[in-house]
Amino acid sequence: MASLKKVLIANRGEIALRILRTCREMGIETVAVYSEADREALHVRFANEAYLLGGPAPADSYLRIDKIIEIAKACGADGVHPGFGFLAENAELVAACEAENIAFIGPPVRAMEVMGDKLASRQAMIAAGVPVVPGTTDPAQDVAAALAAAEQIGYPVMLKASAGGGGKGIRLVQAPEDMETAFTMASGEAQNAFGDGRMYVEKMVTEPRHIEVQVVGDQHGNLYAIGTRECSIQRRHQKVIEEAPAVNLADGVTERIQEAAVAAARAVEYFSAGTVEFLYSRGEFYFLEMNTRLQVEHPVTEEVFGVDLVELMIRAAGGEELPDLSQLEPRGHAIEVRINAEDPANNFMPSLGRISGLRMPFGPGARVDGAIYHGMEITPYSDAMIAKLIASGADREQARRRMMRMLQELHIGGVTTSAGLAMQILQTEEFVEVRADTNFVERYLEENRTPQREFADDLEEVAAIVATLHRLHQGVAPMRRESGGGDGLTPWVSVGRGRVLSGRANPWAAVGRGRAPLDRTNR
Amino acid sequence: MKYFLTLASGREVELEVLEQGSGSARLRVDGRSVSAEFLDVDRLGQYAVGIDGRSYAASIEQRTDTDLIVTLAGESFAVRAVDERERAAGELAASRPKAETIMASMPGIVVGIQVDIGQTLAPGDAVLVLEAMKMQNEICSEHGGVVQEILIAEGESVAGNQVLVKLAPIEEG
Repeated sequence: MASLKKVLIANRGEIALRILRTCREMGIETVAVYSEADREALHVRFANEAYLLGGPAPADSYLRIDKIIEIAKACGADGVHPGFGFLAENAELVAACEAENIAFIGPPVRAMEVMGDKLASRQAMIAAGVPVVPGTTDPAQDVAAALAAAEQIGYPVMLKASAGGGGKGIRLVQAPEDMETAFTMASGEAQNAFGDGRMYVEKMVTEPRHIEVQVVGDQHGNLYAIGTRECSIQRRHQKVIEEAPAVNLADGVTERIQEAAVAAARAVEYFSAGTVEFLYSRGEFYFLEMNTRLQVEHPVTEEVFGVDLVELMIRAAGGEELPDLSQLEPRGHAIEVRINAEDPANNFMPSLGRISGLRMPFGPGARVDGAIYHGMEITPYSDAMIAKLIASGADREQARRRMMRMLQELHIGGVTTSAGLAMQILQTEEFVEVRADTNFVERYLEENRTPQREFADDLEEVAAIVATLHRLHQGVAPMRRESGGGDGLTPWVSVGRGRVLSGRANPWAAVGRGRAPLDRTNR
Repeated sequence: MKYFLTLASGREVELEVLEQGSGSARLRVDGRSVSAEFLDVDRLGQYAVGIDGRSYAASIEQRTDTDLIVTLAGESFAVRAVDERERAAGELAASRPKAETIMASMPGIVVGIQVDIGQTLAPGDAVLVLEAMKMQNEICSEHGGVVQEILIAEGESVAGNQVLVKLAPIEEG
């Protein structure tokens, strides 16, 4: 039996369900909290208890520490799991839990604080002997300071929010003349997202791959690395495809990078699950940051190592000693694709609406983590990520082909998703040969390449025929416009929806003359 | 009836409907005769498609009457499908300069305005930055024009579909 009996999940969507699922399997009671926009959400319906936090904006609901603690106390929850995003890396929530004698299902405050601060973590890593990228040790307050720092380090440099995470407040600066715009935008984003606009300047590592290590520890001093993951397939610093284990690394790197990750975690007396992220380039790796929480891509590690990371987090938070995880060996390979409600043909604009028609991939090695259902509304308050597909195979190639098969089976009606782009990327030489760096997806989009399809049929011609047949058919039997305006949609979605259906959402606007995505300067 | 299809890749396909039955059709595609089956699975855009014996699970997202996203074999294809009459009408409309209104794609906050009154914009030029879903999105002009009115200020919250900026057509000569 688990030492925790009732867990409040302070999150929504896919990750809330992920946590809820493990709690259910462990026999732990679950408490959902929700905003007014989420009353019908699966995390609310599947939980044993559910309580309203407030209005649809995160500041009125999922960020309300006071309300969350009040609910936890009132319902007798003995643990709070923050998921990822929202309050997952907020030390105030940890402190508030401690004050009420509720277990925070995550790391200790000090680890979160040190790792949540780019500069403090960097200093701690240098002290612990973990390799870091050359850069400033003090934050740049303004453009002039950033320019001076960049001059010393040498261009190109990266600007990074001192309090950053999740890809926000990051810009690449190629030359001094780009500094002012980049600094203003990144600093503004950081100010909005984290209330701290200070920027840190560091050297740009050439053609880096993103390699990370899963760590997990308990409160008895046990700390384990559970293998590597590769997450180089990113767009605008948001991961798109992740896999475990990382392959095509120089000899000895897999062992050394895991040792470095454990050293990093030990330096801040870490327990619970966390991820130490590294940049890898030409046989060398550099500490990037540590995410002091469960990560989106944790399922690939679970599939390859046969562990349940949420379960380990809950046990560690309850004070249990974890089983010995030092002898775990990876079994096969796993690949995850994030499915975002966004439109790759229209500058990746968020796609809003009601999910109408849903067909999930089944079959061998196919796992789907998600919270979507037929009739669900994707609102401006939602996260763009609506589901994750995870394919496992005996080796990387089987996992890759399995993921392609899963994407072929997937159908999500009513919104546009990023699934088609993932399908193309999986078939590129760079992906197949494991040599894509973190800029690959942007380059791929910029080059407007003809996809290298392993499917023999002329899919463009088939698409043209299907489009024509659809138009003919519309004349006879129009589509039920479940997702059209004003037909029972809640106010959360109908305001945003009409414009998406209107002519402004023009696929050609993005493809032909190609407006650069806003963060194109990140290259 | 003839249809003219344009794919996002730039490829164009000309298609003529020779015969149309219930759930089936005979077509001429770029000069080649093709027999097609087309069964509506859920009246929500899922179709069971057969083309000369090859089978596909296809689905359609409809943007406008002519702009469609076809999803097929795991990939999505943006297709503009116009028939003969629409093509003729479209050519006529395209020859006239157009006024354009820039609208909010979704509720959000205007975090930056990148144009001034009287400024001339080319198609695709950035107009403003809208923050929504925790991301900053650049809103661009589709046809270009001269900035006539700016109806919002930086920092302002806007509703979906709210008109933000009005452009006048660029005068010829």
